[in-house]
Order: sequence, then C-alpha cells, then structure tokens
Amino acid sequence: MSRAVATPVPLAVRWPVRAEHVAMAVAAVALAILVVLPLASLLLASITEEGRLSLGHFREALSRRLYVQALRNSLVLGAWTALLSVAVGLPMAWAVSRTDVPAKPFIHATATIAYLTPPYLTAIAFVNLFSPNAGLVNQWLRDALGLPQLTFNIHSMAGLVLVTVLHTFPFVYLLAASALQSVDASMEESARILGAGRWRTARAVTLPLVAPAILAGALVAFVNAIALFGSQAIIGLPGRIFTLPTRIYALFDHPPRYGLASALSLVFVAITVVALALQRRYLARRSYVTFGGKGTRPQVVPLGGARWGALAFCAGIFVVAVLAPYLTLLAVSVSRSWGLDFWQNLTLQHYRFILFEYDVTRRAIVNSLILAAAAATLTVLLGCLIAWGDLRTSLPGRKVLDYVSLVPLGLPGIVMAVALIQFWLRVPVPIYGTLLIILLAYSARYVPLAVRSANAAFRQVDPSLEETARVTGAGWLRTFGSITLPLARPGLFAGWLLVFVPAIQELSASVLLFSSGSMTLAVAVYNLYETGYLGPVAALAIVTMVIIGAAIWLATRLGRAGARLERAGVVH
Amino acid sequence: MAGISIERVSKRYGTVTAVRDLSLEVRDREFVALLGPSGCGKTTLLRLIAGFLTPDEGVIRVDGVALSSTDTVVPPERRGMGMVFQNYAIWPHKSVYENVAFGLEIRGVRRSEARERVTRVLDLVNLAGLERRFPGELSGGQQQRVALARSLVVEPKILLLDEPLSNLDAKLRERMRWELKELQRRTGITFVYVTHDQAEAMALSDRIAVLHQGALLQSGPPREVYARPVSREVADFMGLVNLLPGRVVRAAADDSLVSVAGSEPVRVSLAARLGVGAGVQVAIRPESLRPATDGADLGDAAAGLLRGKVADLTFLGNLIDCHMVLDDGTRVRVQADPDASLQVGQALQVAFDPHACTVFEA
Repeated sequence: MSRAVATPVPLAVRWPVRAEHVAMAVAAVALAILVVLPLASLLLASITEEGRLSLGHFREALSRRLYVQALRNSLVLGAWTALLSVAVGLPMAWAVSRTDVPAKPFIHATATIAYLTPPYLTAIAFVNLFSPNAGLVNQWLRDALGLPQLTFNIHSMAGLVLVTVLHTFPFVYLLAASALQSVDASMEESARILGAGRWRTARAVTLPLVAPAILAGALVAFVNAIALFGSQAIIGLPGRIFTLPTRIYALFDHPPRYGLASALSLVFVAITVVALALQRRYLARRSYVTFGGKGTRPQVVPLGGARWGALAFCAGIFVVAVLAPYLTLLAVSVSRSWGLDFWQNLTLQHYRFILFEYDVTRRAIVNSLILAAAAATLTVLLGCLIAWGDLRTSLPGRKVLDYVSLVPLGLPGIVMAVALIQFWLRVPVPIYGTLLIILLAYSARYVPLAVRSANAAFRQVDPSLEETARVTGAGWLRTFGSITLPLARPGLFAGWLLVFVPAIQELSASVLLFSSGSMTLAVAVYNLYETGYLGPVAALAIVTMVIIGAAIWLATRLGRAGARLERAGVVH
Repeated sequence: MAGISIERVSKRYGTVTAVRDLSLEVRDREFVALLGPSGCGKTTLLRLIAGFLTPDEGVIRVDGVALSSTDTVVPPERRGMGMVFQNYAIWPHKSVYENVAFGLEIRGVRRSEARERVTRVLDLVNLAGLERRFPGELSGGQQQRVALARSLVVEPKILLLDEPLSNLDAKLRERMRWELKELQRRTGITFVYVTHDQAEAMALSDRIAVLHQGALLQSGPPREVYARPVSREVADFMGLVNLLPGRVVRAAADDSLVSVAGSEPVRVSLAARLGVGAGVQVAIRPESLRPATDGADLGDAAAGLLRGKVADLTFLGNLIDCHMVLDDGTRVRVQADPDASLQVGQALQVAFDPHACTVFEA
C-alpha cells in the first residue's frame, strides 16, 4: 500500500471501479436466483395451462367455493387479529410509556417473549389445554367442576384468532410504545395550557399523532397473522377451517396442482402487498412524532390505585401469552401421559427419545442449526454488498437492487416455497428435496432483514472515515476491511441474529420443501404433532426455545444487539 | 391585572436542585426576561409558573391567588395563561387555522366569533391568508408566529415564552424581537420570557432576572444589570467583561482607592467589608476602555490608566477588538475605534472611568 502513497497514480487505479462492478454483479445474480427468477416462474406457472397462456387457474382460485372460503377465512383471521392486537398492544404500550405502572421491564419482556415464541408452539400448547376432549382445561371444567358449558373448543376461528394474537400484539405494542414515547411533551403541554384537560388532550393531540404508528402496527399484525402456516394448520385443520396457506399446502398432495397453487399464491401476495403498502404509508407519516427535533419526554400520568389494575391487565397477558404455553409444553414434555394427574408420572424419556434415540429429530436439530447459521451468514454478506452499493457507490441500478431485496417482505413463507419449487423444477439442477433449496428459501425470505440491518450499520459509518483511509493510501478492499467492517460490525451482528432467530424456527416454507434427508426442527415438530406424539413434540419445542433463548442471550451479551433485534423485529 | 409573585420556590429533581429558594415579583403588564446559561433553572421556573411542575417548597401566586404550592397545584389548563415553546409545538396534524382555533374551541366560543378572532390574530402576526396551510408547509418563522397566534387568540393575561426565537436565523430573530416587543406594548399582556441570550433579554425586557444554578442572582432594568452587576457571574453573563486583579489601597465609606492591575490607584465605590490590602477583582467592559495613543485626552485626573502592549488585533467592521497584555502580564480586551492606527506589538495606554468599574471580592 505504501506504493500508492509514494507516487500519484491515475484516478482509475485509486478507485478500482472493477471491484464495485464485481460486487454489484454478484448481488444482482444472487437476488435473481433468490427472488426474481422464482417469482417469475410463479407468475408463469399461474398463467399457463398445458403450455398455453390461460387465466384458468385464477378463475378457479377466485370462484371455487373451496378457495373463496379460504380467502375469506384468511381475511377474517387477519382482521380480527389486527383488531385484537391493537386492543391488547395499545393499552400495554400506553401503560409502559405514559403511566407509573409498576414492573415495566416485566411488561416489556412479556411482549418480547410473546413475539419471539414460534406461533406453532403456542398453538400446540393451547391444543393441549383446550382441545375439545383431551384439553386439560376443558377436562377440568367438565370433569372436575362439572361445567361442560364453559369448555372452549380451540379448533375454531376464535381459537385461531386467540393463538395468533398472542404472537402479533407485540407489533402494535412496540410501534405504539415508541411513538408514544417520542411525542414531544410540548405538543401536549401546549394543549393543556390552552385549557384542554388530560383526556381532551389525549383525544385531540396524542391520539392523532400516534394513530399512524398504531395503524402501521395493526397492518404488520395483519400481514403476519395470515402468513402463519403452523398455527393455521394445527388449530384450523381439525376444525375444518381452511385458510390460504393450508389450502396451498393441500394442493401439493398427490396429484400436485402447481398452476392453481401458483395462482392462489399470487392472490395471497396481492393481499399482503396491499397491506404492506398501506403500512409503509402510515409509517412514513410517523415522522409526525419526531416533529420539532430536540424535545422533552412526556410526563408520566400517575394512575393512583388504578396502576395495579393496569398491571393486572398486563400480567393477564403474560399468563396467557407466556406462562400458560411454556408451562404446558414443559409439563407435557416431562410427563408420561397428559391428563389432570400428569405430575404423578414424570419422566425424561421424551428428551432422551428426541435427542438420542430418534435419528429424525437429531438430524432435524443439526440441520436447522446449519441452515439458520448458513442463511444468516449468506444474507448478511449479501446485505453488505447491496447496502454498500446503495450507500457508497453511484452505480446505476443500485436502487433497483435495494428495492428487489425488499420484495420478500411481501411474500409469505409458503408462497416463497411454491415459487422456488416452480423454478427449480424447470431447471435441470436437482436441488429439490435437498438442504440447499431450504437454504435458498430461508435466504430469500430473510434477505430484507439483513439488507436493512447492513444498511443501518453502514449509515453509522461516516463516509469521511473511509475517505480518510483512502487519502492516507489504503486501497478500496483494505479500507472496507479495516475501517468499514469493524465499525459496522455490531449492526451486522445484530442483522445476523435477526435472520438466525426466525430461520431456526421456520415452518411455512420448510413444510413444502423438506424431504426425509433435509428435515428441520419446525417440520419435525409439526410431523410429530401430526402423528400424535405429544410428549416428544413438547420436548422438541422446549429444545427449540432453548436454542432461541441461547441465541438471544448471546445477542444481549454481545453488546446492544439485543435492543436492535427488538427494534428491527418490528419491521419484519 | 396579572402580577405573578414567586415566593421562596424550590424545585429538586432527585439530588439536583433546579430552582433554589427563589423569589421574584413580576408586575402586571411587565416584560420580564429570565436570563441564564443552559441548566440554570430558567425553564424549570417557567414550567413551575405554567403549572406543569409542583414546587417542593414555596408558593406561586397570580394576583394574590395561590396557584402553586407544595400541596395543591392548579392544573395548567385552568390557569388561563399562554405559552410559546422553544420548538413551537405546532400540531402537525392540524392546519394553521385549526391550531389557532383550538383554544377557542376548548372555551366553547361560537364558530363565527372564533373565525373572526382567529382572522384578527393571524393578521396581528402577519399570517393572514395562510389559514389552510399545514405546519409542514411553513417556514420556521411562520411556525413561530402560529405558536404566538395560538397563545394570543385566547387573550391570556400572562404569556410564558421559552426561548421562542432561538431556532430562528439571526436576521429573522432580530425582526421577531421587535415584533414581540411591539405586541407586548399593544396587548398589555404580562410577558415572562426565558432566554440565554443577553442581547435579546436587554433588547426586549423591562426587567432582567439573572439566574445561575437555580438561584436568582440579580433582577433589575437591563441598564442597571449591565452597568452594576452584583456578582462576577452576572457581569460575565451580561456580555464581554475584563476581570482584572486589584488591591485595596484605601478603604473608607465614600473615599476608597483601588489599584487595578498594578496601575495608579483610582477612586471607586467599595463594599464596606473590604479592608486595606485586600485582593479584589475589578470588572471593566471592553467598551469602557479607551486607547490613548498620544496621551492628550487623559486630562481627567480621576481616570484610571493601564499600560501594556498590543498582542492581537481583530478588525470587526464597526470596531477593532484589541487584545492587550498589561505590564504585569494581565490580558485585557479593548474595543477600539476602527480608524485607530494600532499595530501588534506597539506600546499602548488605555484609560477608563472608575465609575464604569465594578469591584468584587477576589
């Protein structure tokens, strides 16, 4: 490098344009393979029938009762979930950010854990409590208390909404809490001094200011709710409640109907994209709340005795969303038979079974660890290329790459799987049924999270720091390696975890892509559940949570990554 | 009538005392500036007056009625005051009209009357015609006027202003200053105005209250606070000042002599408790020091005289900022006439009127 310092060299050599081009080309090819080509195949499959252009698949998807009913169920589920997520998330957000409610860290932790818990595990736990005959609570109500009229059938739309809300309310909570905290105190104080009381101020000033954030949270809840294959299959199918993901899944039974599945997937995508477009619009209007720059935190409302009521509400959410599912899974995992007297025959046999005896679950654990780590590493590397190209070069097309990398946000997992299958069935590379196709699915699904994390990380590195290195004679690669990367590392690490955590528990795409050789954790849980091995299922669920917990623990240990995880989780 | 009387008020945040045993009278129709560096407690005091904070000690009365005391605080919405915030706090989701009309709406003023009053007040602040704009479409100065209009339309007896001009550029600030003063004269509203800018405080107010570390150091008309600061902090805060070492040569009730930076003793007024030989600090403003290159205008025997060398010169257009090193090594700043032919390194004598000095205990 000293050579470059000694003698001035032509501009083209000091700014190696070729490295930029290579980096961008790699990113473009990767995005084409992960996103563009599979989506194109999906589109193509949806509008062709026996090699000819046709709208037959769409006609069938939008007219047959089977599918219209599924569409309606998905919308009903999404709408109720969004509504109830606001009903649960908003009061919690208000209590934490604006009142003197006790135990705020506990309330915050409740929302975080609820968000991080894989929804299919919550679903399985609730089936154990509320399935019509064998559910523990139902048994207790019916047999011990003699109140059969109070039993609750989890295999219903109400049950499905309940389980889904427990996973989605944190979206509203996190967005609303951050909005409520960032409303400048003077906005409300100027209403007070003009004569408006507390409630009038809340109605006329605070609510309109945070409404965009609440709406955005509700829309994210909606989009997430309708995409969750696991809970919809586990809760819905026994009650004959079909939704779009479960219908698409069923189309892969023999004989598979790829064209119809593609058309149905695109209908699904359309709903998601509309909701996300609305969400972006509302989120953009959130700039409201940071209006005015330097500001003071709003004053805390003293609730007096009511603070215990507020705490009780939040504790109730904790019991339903965290305590009940975890205790249930733990209890099932250590009992020989599930029932009212389960504690009389405790055992560790289920753990021994899944960890040592049953090679499918052993392989699934190893596979998922490999897949999640590989997907996280790949996507973060790709994210670095795309973000760096966007922020630090003026190459044409860099914005396109950035946009394309965000497309998967609008693709539910099962749709991603359908698209990948369509593409890889057309090309003569036999990766269908291998770990590789699952890796592609994970990478494609979570590349937006990685790109966004990398983008945020690089934004924190001032370009002048890089320019200084360049001026002192370091080449492009040297600058990137010794200045940019080390400074961006905490953010990139957070991005890695942001991908790792959902990838280790991925079900929606894996469930269509796995084979016996490429079993994953979530699929193993689902399959064991399907065959009725409740004990091993619960044990595997606990193992999954231990892995996720360890990852989060590592994240919080390694700096501020944990906080970023939560924040960025909202965008997911 | 709307006089405010602040009686021995204290406010603590944890271990930090933001306002310390502070008493201040604001008379009806008076324009009082609360002046001090950031963190001096001036904003806390304003928020105590507004009713956003509860005092830990003391009472705040308006027209003799206790509004704030340690056990009862009339909430802000029932004080009938107006307040303008540093960041304007214009509601971004309401139009200019809706922003201004809000207070009238709260008071249940009829729509037609409200329309009239809003129009009138927007006229007053030169915003006529912008009723339907949203804050995002306004400049900083216009937002500032909306904030002002919103507070004025409800005709408060007292208007509290928290550094309302600090986010504006210099030119606009100058103009708004003048407009504010004009407005206060016309409306007769009692103004309490928080600022850290001494020039602003002097330009605007009838009285300046200088705060430092939560305590009131001095309050009085701008001229008095500027010319007769009661402490070094006040002198320092009210603009550029030279603090020169001095020694008491004679201490008598009305005939004291002090030697300033080794000069011939001059006659000054002195705090009684200082004895002969005591070290003091003498505050002299740069504009009170006159360079005397030829010694011709030193005829006044009472004038003090400092000798030294010119160390640095900065031409500022309307004056020359001259840094001098006195013979005893003390550095002083002198404001010289821009036409004065001074050169770095030349010997220089500067004269001063002893009456322009303030002597503090060292």
